[in-house]
Amino acid sequence: MSRNTEISTNERTYFIEALKCGLRLDSRRFDEIREPQISLSKTEFGYVELDWGLTKLAVRVSAQIGKPYEDRPFEGLFQINCEISSMAWAHFDNSKNSNEEILIARIIEKAIRRSNSLDLEALCIIAGEKVWNITVDLNFLNFDGNFVDVGCFGAMLALHHFKKPDISIVNGGEDIIVHDIDERQPVPLSILHVPICLTYSFYNPGNKESNLKGEDDDEIYLLDANLIEEQVREGSIVVTLNKNRELIQLSKNGGIPISANVLLDLSFKSMKIVDELTELIKKVISKHEKERYEELNLKMLEVGADR
Amino acid sequence: MELYSPEGLRIDGRRWNEIRNFECRINTHPNSSDGSSYIEQGNTKVICVVQGPMEPALRSQANSNEATLEVNLSVANFSTTERKKRSKSEKRMVQLKTTLERTFQQSVMCNLYPRTLIRIDLHVLSQDGGMLAACTNAMTLALIDAGVSMYDYVAAMTAGLHDQTPLLDMNGLEENDMSTLTIGVIGKSEKLSLLMLEDKIPLDRLESVLAIAIAGSHKIRDLMDSEVRRHGNIRSSKLAS
Repeated sequence: MSRNTEISTNERTYFIEALKCGLRLDSRRFDEIREPQISLSKTEFGYVELDWGLTKLAVRVSAQIGKPYEDRPFEGLFQINCEISSMAWAHFDNSKNSNEEILIARIIEKAIRRSNSLDLEALCIIAGEKVWNITVDLNFLNFDGNFVDVGCFGAMLALHHFKKPDISIVNGGEDIIVHDIDERQPVPLSILHVPICLTYSFYNPGNKESNLKGEDDDEIYLLDANLIEEQVREGSIVVTLNKNRELIQLSKNGGIPISANVLLDLSFKSMKIVDELTELIKKVISKHEKERYEELNLKMLEVGADR
Repeated sequence: MELYSPEGLRIDGRRWNEIRNFECRINTHPNSSDGSSYIEQGNTKVICVVQGPMEPALRSQANSNEATLEVNLSVANFSTTERKKRSKSEKRMVQLKTTLERTFQQSVMCNLYPRTLIRIDLHVLSQDGGMLAACTNAMTLALIDAGVSMYDYVAAMTAGLHDQTPLLDMNGLEENDMSTLTIGVIGKSEKLSLLMLEDKIPLDRLESVLAIAIAGSHKIRDLMDSEVRRHGNIRSSKLAS
């Protein structure tokens, strides 16, 4: 870890003082996220670049045909790889998996994979023999805080964008033909729900001891912290929700304690942002689909559709 | 298999708001450690051994502002019915270990022990649900036994949701089938220092699950406290004689 990535005491005090006055350095409200800038690849399926403030992320989804696990013959394979290198921030080291990286990867994985947001049974081709193996690679290109939320959003966006080649089974289930995407329209993945992670960072401007004992509740909560905010924070919590008002994950790894009422309050408040982000994914994807449809002149191929 | 019968009984005969048999001992390994404890929560059994505060072996572990906590979590191969070799570098293990380290970094008064290392070894002998909670409780007791200053007890408890009913202190079978929330509470307050939910639960049910889990943690705190006091009394009577 290089020393020059650490934040100075002056900056820290300035930041905390600003928070006490109800201000964030980038003039956002405390519960406001940065506006995501999305660019979807026009030429290939499942490549997405996402700018979230200065945090930059590239996501690539790929599909291969593989053999299922023996105890789950009907389920496809799905994995999420998280690549955090020192390219994003000098603090991260390239050599081995740091705890930070494992934690981030695991929170994203739990949000998406363990909550069954991808229908794995729909990835089955021949039971026990051949299934689709879907891999999501998250490459963080620049770090300005909040990898978890950005990673989860980016992965869900890319999964919506991705399409796998069509397949037909021949010889009574013995062989399969993988159709080229130019030959037959590729098929999208079946996604059951869209988990959205929201990270709250908290700061305790008052006395640590009375805070721990629960005598005063004056912690400050910030949504979507950027790099400085993340370095100064004294604790964080990840809340993962979906549009159906289901709580998918709560994860608080250390940091100053938060009171139960605040937790409830935060999770209820999060619903609004979850709805907005889910809507955004749907909107961007359907716009993209429409453009592609017009560009490829698919209308001309639809012979019998309007009869 | 019926996890919660219409009569309101669970698979092991408990009601919804009952915790499992809770046994704890401190100072179990007085010769090999500075602090130690043993905990049974139902069939989940954990030994915790604390060394320190001591001089760290590596320079890099010394922090000039506060003590460094190092947790080693080892789960025995025979801890489940199916014998299985477990590696320490498994993602799940690393996550649990980091969670414990970070939780206690705040609850222990680390600023009193600068440039030292506190090493905590956790051995899970038997797993039957609520492993993280049992580890947290064992760590609290062992740190108290070691005489390390803490703000208050960190008492942890699990709770789950079956249909509409919150269930307190899940066992292994229940944990496999239901979503489980693990919380760690500081002393008798409603402050949560540890929080882990791994499966879906409706947002509107969160409050009831959280409430029962907090009540359970307070109960565990009392049980741990009475063990600490019992041990303290034995010690002080020895000193007096």
